[in-house]
Amino acid sequence: MKKFDADAMGERLLRKLAGGTSRRSMLSRLGAALVAAPAFPLLPVSRAEAAKPDRSPEGKTGFARNAQTKDDTKCDYWRYCAIDGALCTCCGGGIHSCPPGAEPSPVSWVGTCINPDDGKAYLIAYRDCCGKPACGQCGCDNTDRETQLYMPQLNNDVIWCFGTTSMEYHCSTAVLVGSAS
Amino acid sequence: MPRTAARGLFAAAAWGWALLASPVQAAPADTGAVLEMETSDVLTITPPKPTWFFVDGGWDMPGTSIFDGETGKMKGMVETRRLADFAIDPAGKFYYVAETIWSKGDRGTRQDMVSVYDSQTLNLITEVPLPGRILIGSRKNNFIVSDDGKTAYVYDFSPISGVNIVDLVKRKFVTAVELPGCASLMPNPGIGFSALCSDGSLATVAIKGTKADISHSAPFFSATDDPIFDNFTYDRRKKETTFLTYTGQIYQAKLGATPTISTPFSIQAAAGIRPGETKPLELNWYPGGRQPMALHRPSGHLFVLMHMGEYWSHKASGTEVWEVDLATQKVVKRRALKEPMNNIEVSQTDKPLLFMNGEEGSAIVIDVATGEEKHKIEKAGGSTITVVDPS
Repeated sequence: MKKFDADAMGERLLRKLAGGTSRRSMLSRLGAALVAAPAFPLLPVSRAEAAKPDRSPEGKTGFARNAQTKDDTKCDYWRYCAIDGALCTCCGGGIHSCPPGAEPSPVSWVGTCINPDDGKAYLIAYRDCCGKPACGQCGCDNTDRETQLYMPQLNNDVIWCFGTTSMEYHCSTAVLVGSAS
Repeated sequence: MPRTAARGLFAAAAWGWALLASPVQAAPADTGAVLEMETSDVLTITPPKPTWFFVDGGWDMPGTSIFDGETGKMKGMVETRRLADFAIDPAGKFYYVAETIWSKGDRGTRQDMVSVYDSQTLNLITEVPLPGRILIGSRKNNFIVSDDGKTAYVYDFSPISGVNIVDLVKRKFVTAVELPGCASLMPNPGIGFSALCSDGSLATVAIKGTKADISHSAPFFSATDDPIFDNFTYDRRKKETTFLTYTGQIYQAKLGATPTISTPFSIQAAAGIRPGETKPLELNWYPGGRQPMALHRPSGHLFVLMHMGEYWSHKASGTEVWEVDLATQKVVKRRALKEPMNNIEVSQTDKPLLFMNGEEGSAIVIDVATGEEKHKIEKAGGSTITVVDPS
């Protein structure tokens, strides 16, 4: 039974990163906070591992047991296992799309969520859409494997609008980044 | 009626109202006593009292409301816009707000600052510009003031992790120090400050001038499997912090150049039930909420919001308050709540008052001795509660 391992996940990301950045660069000092996406390739996927139904503890949380895959405007949609905020799908956006006029943050916090259709664990990047007032629709706060501020990449309270022209929070998306296995 | 005539009528009516409010208005002819004329003025309040509590309005209300726990009456408000952090000068002369505003409302030039308010007039005295600060809200330990009241530490996340240090006497920004992998600050008198880290250690940050020397304790908790709530408590008289983990483990750390961290104990075991676990499918009592615990420092009793649930329900509001005697490691009282509560504080008085609020923003005041609900205040605010910590 493999447990969710944030360190290993961060290490994989950082090893990928290390080849392309100098040790003193800002990126190298960000540590694991850089779960960012456009700048990074998808995580390596072990197809053999991914083919097995997930029997890990992540699959047995209250959220995972009740999650659904049909309606991404509901808090129990499977990718939202660690989301906090207004769902962009209810604000004129989509599951990985910002509503008109908003700007996606290039960095994010992450969750590891189980898709009930295939039983596999996926890494989800919760990228905030920024630069417009708080949408206010479909507020959700799910907390599977959500940690505290000293582990910011797994904390869902931080306003993640970094690198955007405005840090005003509008809504949150749930972008599938890859397999978490 | 021509439009210009209508305007004239309205103008005359408005003028009439102004006259009514002016001293030339005649008193009613048939009464003996005449009500005194009034003028507008502005009240002041005393410096903060130990029975007062300060409720951050959170996401929905841009102010921190000051309430008297004895009377339940509001005393005033300090402006704390969304995601601001509030702190009280230990000497009681000032209220401090670490905040972020933009020159054009929600756009334009970003401005980060510590705003200084007089505690009696609640007037803004000055602003100390900062190079940045984290935007998160609902945290007690991102903006802390040293025990002597001379220094403030403002956590920053850009997303490089660091701390901005402010001289509160000169009201000047001093320096920024990097704090890789750590956050959630606590004062460390004579040293600088301490912080919790993602490797499960406690960092001690010794400040010398503008330099920071960071050392780490051995890891003592798991930041991913059983995190410590970052809204922990600090006791300035003992120079000690009390930590609580998601499963309910309670640690105490004596701060100094080298911290000493106690062996933890389980809050559930302290109540005579099985300890909380990280395993799935285990229903048990767990701590939860945004500000899930409060320490009554004179008695060493810790008040914890507890709920029945499964692991990873750490933001859930408490349906009971458990009172833990830290010295004997026993839960001495369990109090059921009428409504679930998300934040808790306690007055540092001989007869402690518990202050709590829920996600809807209603606050209650409970007398610890009798269990009586002394006051319920609607729309008090839904976020962090602060009290004075007299030493």
